[in-house]
Amino acid sequence: MNAFVRLAGIMVTATALSAPVLAQTTVVAPSGNTAGTYMDYMKTVYDRGTGSELLQIPIATFNKEFELTPMAAESWTQSEDGLTWTFKLRSGLVWSDGEPLTAEDFVFALQHAATSGYDFAWYWDFAGGIKGWKEVTESTADVSTLGLKAVDDLTIEVTTVAPKPYLPSVTSLWYPVPKHKVDELGDDWSLDVSTIVSSGPFEIESWEKSNNSVVLTKSDTYTGPWSPLIDRLELDPTLNAPEVGLPAFLAGDADYSFLNTGQVPVATQRYPDGIRKNAVFATSYISYDLDAEPFNDVNVRRAFYYAVDRDELTSTVLKDIAIPAGSILPPGYPGYNPDIAAEAVFDPEKAKQFLADAGFPNGEGFPDVEIWYREEGGYNGAIIPAMAQYLQAEFKEVLGITLNIRSLPGPEWMDGLRGKKNNIFIAPYEYDYLDPSNFYGIFYNGGRHGYFIPEFDEIVAKADSDSDWDTRYQLYADAEQLMIDQGLIVPLVHPVTIAVVSDQLTGDGVSPNSLGFTQLDRLGHYFFTHITKQ
Amino acid sequence: MLAHILRRILSVAFTFIVVSIIIFLMMHSVPGGPFDANDMPVSEAVRARMMAQWGLDQPLHVQYLNYMWGVLHLDFGVPFQSPGETVVQLISRAWVPSLILGGSGVLIGAPLGILLGMAAALNRNSWIDYVASTVATLGLTIPVFVTSMLLILIFAVWLNWLPASGWPQPNRWILPIACYAAIPLATYARYTRSAVLDTLNRPFVTVLRAKGLSERRIIFQHVMRNSAIPLVTVFLPMFIGTATGSIFVEAMFRVPGLGAYFVSSIEVRDYTLQMALMLLITFMYCLAYLLSDIAYALLNPRIRVGGAE
Repeated sequence: MNAFVRLAGIMVTATALSAPVLAQTTVVAPSGNTAGTYMDYMKTVYDRGTGSELLQIPIATFNKEFELTPMAAESWTQSEDGLTWTFKLRSGLVWSDGEPLTAEDFVFALQHAATSGYDFAWYWDFAGGIKGWKEVTESTADVSTLGLKAVDDLTIEVTTVAPKPYLPSVTSLWYPVPKHKVDELGDDWSLDVSTIVSSGPFEIESWEKSNNSVVLTKSDTYTGPWSPLIDRLELDPTLNAPEVGLPAFLAGDADYSFLNTGQVPVATQRYPDGIRKNAVFATSYISYDLDAEPFNDVNVRRAFYYAVDRDELTSTVLKDIAIPAGSILPPGYPGYNPDIAAEAVFDPEKAKQFLADAGFPNGEGFPDVEIWYREEGGYNGAIIPAMAQYLQAEFKEVLGITLNIRSLPGPEWMDGLRGKKNNIFIAPYEYDYLDPSNFYGIFYNGGRHGYFIPEFDEIVAKADSDSDWDTRYQLYADAEQLMIDQGLIVPLVHPVTIAVVSDQLTGDGVSPNSLGFTQLDRLGHYFFTHITKQ
Repeated sequence: MLAHILRRILSVAFTFIVVSIIIFLMMHSVPGGPFDANDMPVSEAVRARMMAQWGLDQPLHVQYLNYMWGVLHLDFGVPFQSPGETVVQLISRAWVPSLILGGSGVLIGAPLGILLGMAAALNRNSWIDYVASTVATLGLTIPVFVTSMLLILIFAVWLNWLPASGWPQPNRWILPIACYAAIPLATYARYTRSAVLDTLNRPFVTVLRAKGLSERRIIFQHVMRNSAIPLVTVFLPMFIGTATGSIFVEAMFRVPGLGAYFVSSIEVRDYTLQMALMLLITFMYCLAYLLSDIAYALLNPRIRVGGAE
């Protein structure tokens, strides 16, 4: 009898010990493709290690309704003159090695970014407007002059060059850097799994650098909001290509997959309840060198604006992967103005008239031009080459002009756009933070296009610093109207990504928001902490 | 023979230098640099600081000499895209999966191809020959990404026998190895068939038959040996081509191998890694042809390496 009791006891103990292992839930997900140099978002954005943002806690982030939600900060206030923001951190936040997470780690993150070749440094100038940022990144001022201060362990003070009413939303990309680790190891702290420490909802278990895939686990030390409901998360950039992701999904190797246009009907038929649309909040538009012929004539630019049949484009060649764009702002994005967007109509007669007014009736005498687009993967890779060919045919038919096409690697394309090495481009842009200043900022004061429109800059500067939303909304509408009247851009499409999700994956993360969109990859903090797996 | 080998080693060194200069110049003549902006401009000061940190602010010839001095000491620098390790460490790490999969593919595909080719040649114009020719033609004409997709669809999605992709569990190796094996199998089937047929038609085979040797002995002892030379010519270069990884196969099967680095090092202007990979390939091809030369002499005593037949 005793033997039976002992055996039963052993079995119960064994079951109890093995229960957590058995109950472990692992989600395997695709992830955006980056080179994977440092596992530190504040060191490099474009070449970061996969999941580096999930390892750290930002000051604030967005939920699936795109509402700003405090994360490391529990509250914030703006000074009366609008120039200083004070962020109060939650108490009890710690690094995964047990060190306390303090205001100093956040301040250090930006001080370090300003001086260490951060490839996203521009963001903290044009979006953050932090006092002294430009001067410090250009090495003309000392880092101590930055408008950043850790008042005490839980208080951060940020001073901006002009009132920035939207600064809290900018902080969604402000992650802490473990100063104690940098003091010990320099930037190398984020190169090896054994030295990486985290402050966010996940910790790192392994990192395969050859394809930048990672395995993250639920953090044991995280005390902030949104603790993960899953135990492990495998993020694999090689699953991001639908051609690889869908077969892996079908074989049960991945929990969801993005779809290309050819896959959408098949997946929809097989998994009618598993299809999800993701709002990307991005815009593809035509951009010009405003000083180069023939686009230095506003009539030519206006002709192009009216020569694009966006409805046909998005219902045929870009079916299911893009919606028509009438504005630089996507629908649902703060500041989106439907009246402005409605101006972007397909009007071949008007287009022809503008071209004739420019001295090229029916395209006669118009020089051959070459439109440059950027080689890339993801949703842009699916959209832009096909769109370029559509535009080529469309402009030939409507305007009688010859548009050649050239694709270039990212840096070369950017160099061409900034350095005015060509006269016409297809330019994609995806939001960085949720405020209209983000999209208008890329045209502000040279932005990324290298041209200066003083009138536009004046309106945008006013809009950026006004604390009244209605006034800002109107000012941004004025700015966009000016863009239309001067034909600065031709808004083309807003990309949409479509994914198929396993029925084993449940939770708020995979249920659509009030606009009908999910956020499978863009709002990682929300998504990966709001899913469960059965 | 020894003198020839020494001469070939010297020519390898010369080739190495010429290739390194060409690659270096081509690499730097491509517009854009490793620290150019991706989406928005970085400040000139920041860019300059990064360039200086990696020694890219120095004149080109100085950069070249510095790099080659390092190469002489087997120091290929630090890859820009993986600053936590040296180029040698990166290649040693990433080459393992490529070598396992690509190497196995050739080692499995080549013998099968030889068997298929021999079967076709010995049964010329029979159904075996037609099947072998069809297999060989399909293997050579269907792109590997289509083969990969078909294998995944059949064995992972429909039959559910194997995982679709991933690494490192050995059951995940099977499909990519099968995919890699298709090319050497097809190539060898075609080469073997034509080489064996060619040899069979030569007068010495008729003499051997007239002497009364058994057909088996003629085939295995004489025909195979004389048919081996073209096969040797193909083998090592093919082995190198496959065992250094394929961007397509590795992407389709999510293998963390070397293949992707050939493309990414060019894309992100990772000069140190680009140079190292190109020099590695150059070295391996030089070595392959040197070994092939030696193998010729061993297979056919009438061939004198470095001299006339």
